[in-house]
Amino acid sequence: MDLLSNKWIINLLVCLFFIGVSCNSVEKKIYVHLNYTVSCVRLLNATHQIGCQSSLSGNVGVLHVLESEENLDWVLHSGPNPPYMVILESPLFTRSVMMKLKNGSSRVAGVAVVAPNTNPAEGFSPHTTCPNENTGVYSETYDPTMANCNMTVWNPLGNGLSYEEFDFPIFSLKDDNDTQIIRQCYLDHNHAVNGSTPQYPLCAMQLYSHMSAVTDTATCMRRNAINFSLNPEMVCDPLGDQNVWASTRPLNNTAKGHKMWESVVIAAARLDSRSFFFDIAPGAESGVSGFVTLLAAAHALRNATQEAQPNRTILYTFFQGETFDYIGSSRMVYDMENNQFAVDLDNVHSVLEIGQVGLRADSKLWLHTDPVSRRNESVNKEVEELIGNLRSAATGLNVTVDVPRFSQPLPPSSFQRFLRARPIPGVVLEDHQSAYTNKFYGSMYDNAENLNVSYPPNLTPEEQLEYITDTARAVTEVATMVARALYRQARGEESQLSSIKADPQIVTKMLYSFLVRSNNSWFQQLLPSDFTSYLANRPPNFYVGVVQQSSEPTLLVQYLLANLTGGTVNITQDNCKNQREDETDKVSKHMYNYMWVQGAAPPNSTERGGYCVRSTVRVSKALSPAFDLQQYTSKNFSTWTESRWKFIKGRIFLVASHELEMLTLGVGVGVLLSSLLLTYIISSKADILFSSGREPTNATY
Amino acid sequence: MAKYQDSHKFTMNLERLPNEEKLSLCRKYYLGGFAFLPFLWLVNVVWFFREAFVKPAYTEQLQIKTYVKRSALGLLLWVAVLTTWITIFQHFRAEWGEVGDYLSFTIPLGIP
Repeated sequence: MDLLSNKWIINLLVCLFFIGVSCNSVEKKIYVHLNYTVSCVRLLNATHQIGCQSSLSGNVGVLHVLESEENLDWVLHSGPNPPYMVILESPLFTRSVMMKLKNGSSRVAGVAVVAPNTNPAEGFSPHTTCPNENTGVYSETYDPTMANCNMTVWNPLGNGLSYEEFDFPIFSLKDDNDTQIIRQCYLDHNHAVNGSTPQYPLCAMQLYSHMSAVTDTATCMRRNAINFSLNPEMVCDPLGDQNVWASTRPLNNTAKGHKMWESVVIAAARLDSRSFFFDIAPGAESGVSGFVTLLAAAHALRNATQEAQPNRTILYTFFQGETFDYIGSSRMVYDMENNQFAVDLDNVHSVLEIGQVGLRADSKLWLHTDPVSRRNESVNKEVEELIGNLRSAATGLNVTVDVPRFSQPLPPSSFQRFLRARPIPGVVLEDHQSAYTNKFYGSMYDNAENLNVSYPPNLTPEEQLEYITDTARAVTEVATMVARALYRQARGEESQLSSIKADPQIVTKMLYSFLVRSNNSWFQQLLPSDFTSYLANRPPNFYVGVVQQSSEPTLLVQYLLANLTGGTVNITQDNCKNQREDETDKVSKHMYNYMWVQGAAPPNSTERGGYCVRSTVRVSKALSPAFDLQQYTSKNFSTWTESRWKFIKGRIFLVASHELEMLTLGVGVGVLLSSLLLTYIISSKADILFSSGREPTNATY
Repeated sequence: MAKYQDSHKFTMNLERLPNEEKLSLCRKYYLGGFAFLPFLWLVNVVWFFREAFVKPAYTEQLQIKTYVKRSALGLLLWVAVLTTWITIFQHFRAEWGEVGDYLSFTIPLGIP
């Protein structure tokens, strides 16, 4: 008994000893881990792979802070300790520097870009000069003079960096204390003063961003599907999410296909955006300005369309994935053609799309139309009528609309996918006559600062939520115009027109929530309690992401649209969640959508008073038809997929010279061999060395 | 001091077998190797090499010699075929695209 308890005590002491020792691990003394790791990832389409790749065990390189473009010579040719990990300040993150690094990639281990706190002055767009040029309507067969941006280059500042392939990792660092540690490490150890070579030990960084997929979408989808492999592993996922749509008159969503006597005016906007780095996409001017305008217009039309239903139904659609070759709109058109949507293309009368409307120079808005379809007389007549409605809706408002003075193609817009199916009359509303006014299209600088959304200092977040900015007022004007034009286009009562006004309070709250901070009291009221974890103290991220993971904006826009266009119904939570008005109701679920939201807390208590919102808001799948049809090399549909990866991280440490490493290894091997030799010698001569002079015992066998 | 004798061997001690049994063992390994088992031929060659070529002659030795020679030949053939196939596959798997993927049990991640 005593021996047993002794044993237990010793075991306990040994365990405690190990715990104490392991907390003081050597690893923490060597490596400094990067806290904020944002890298560029690999995306694949039918023909190419774009983005960055690191080796499986991370890329290690000696740090070098690049001072100027001429300093690249040190990295690429004259530096004595390749490979180098280049730290770029944002003015040097240009196409020429990156292309030179790409060509010298045997000496470049990776790149880390320091993102500034304010936008650069001269504009930066890593997107291409002609966004979505191969999946729009302008092709060689449609009109060769307009294909491939021959007539108008929409994004002249575009340097195409997002669509290049790099075989080293590229990370983004914030300009804060952690990055200052990196710069200091470089100055202490690596900086070459007056032409002298820096001495070991040197400061080095290791970046891990190994991507599993390779070559193109067809290859990675094939490798996803292989059955008899020893370790089946998914290597990539298609990009996609869900489109959000709603209608002014309830449409039976269960009966798909053509609806008799329905004439629909589609009011479209896009939700998503992208940047060079993964999961950073503020998308202020390219996405938020458009869909906030449409949401405000839908809200302005709520009362008018409920009191006097216009002849035609207005269908508000918010497409996801438009940045990546029109994923959402191509899917909706495909569903309409195949009777998988609540209406079909014969029901569509016209389309009004809200593009980028946040940066109006001289308060002017431009109405873009497609000259090729307008060659048809009847289509032209309808387009002229729509333009006329827009012009008359702008009277009395601080908005001037105009048609571009020369014939030019449509800018990249979801409407182009509808035109690919059939010549539908439509107009795209933009704030630029030819090239974009957005200097930061498709970059991480397309944020609140780009739209001039700024608040006076010393306001609390709730006060900022309610403060009406100038941008909000400008967007409200555009929304009022859009609402009135849609109402007229839908043949609504003329008398109602003057009462249609967008609410600047709602617009400014939306702009605050989507550009500054999504976690605020207004959004807390609009969402059900299980989704409040999506709200964060930063703006939402508008990258469309893979299809299995639904992105934040889809959810937020869904509930917001329901709140703005729907109404409260007084039914129990159980009925609401089961899509019925009462126990016997079986038909409401086809026409309406019921959502239980958590609502506000009354002033005297902390319990939120939830209620049920009835609206016509629905979601429809936004996955490219190429994946359902398994045509992974399709030229007609988007084939974008995102690679999978195991982890993305980085760390900094000091490295010794190669000679020292080899010396240490050599000494270790030498000690091993000599100890083996010594043991062999001793054991073979054991009887001589350890003779004890005893009598040999008589062996009795 | 008593000589330390290893009486617990993993391999059978060929010394103690009569010659007929040695021959039958050699034949079994030789015939077994035809069932796509070149390792049996390798074992045959290594194990019976001393018996076939080094020991003084006895009646069955001629046949054992034949078996060992043929096993060595078969082994050489297998090594040549496998080396050629493995070299070709490792070199060209990436270029073969679909065929290469369907022939592989493990496909490396992130490289073609």
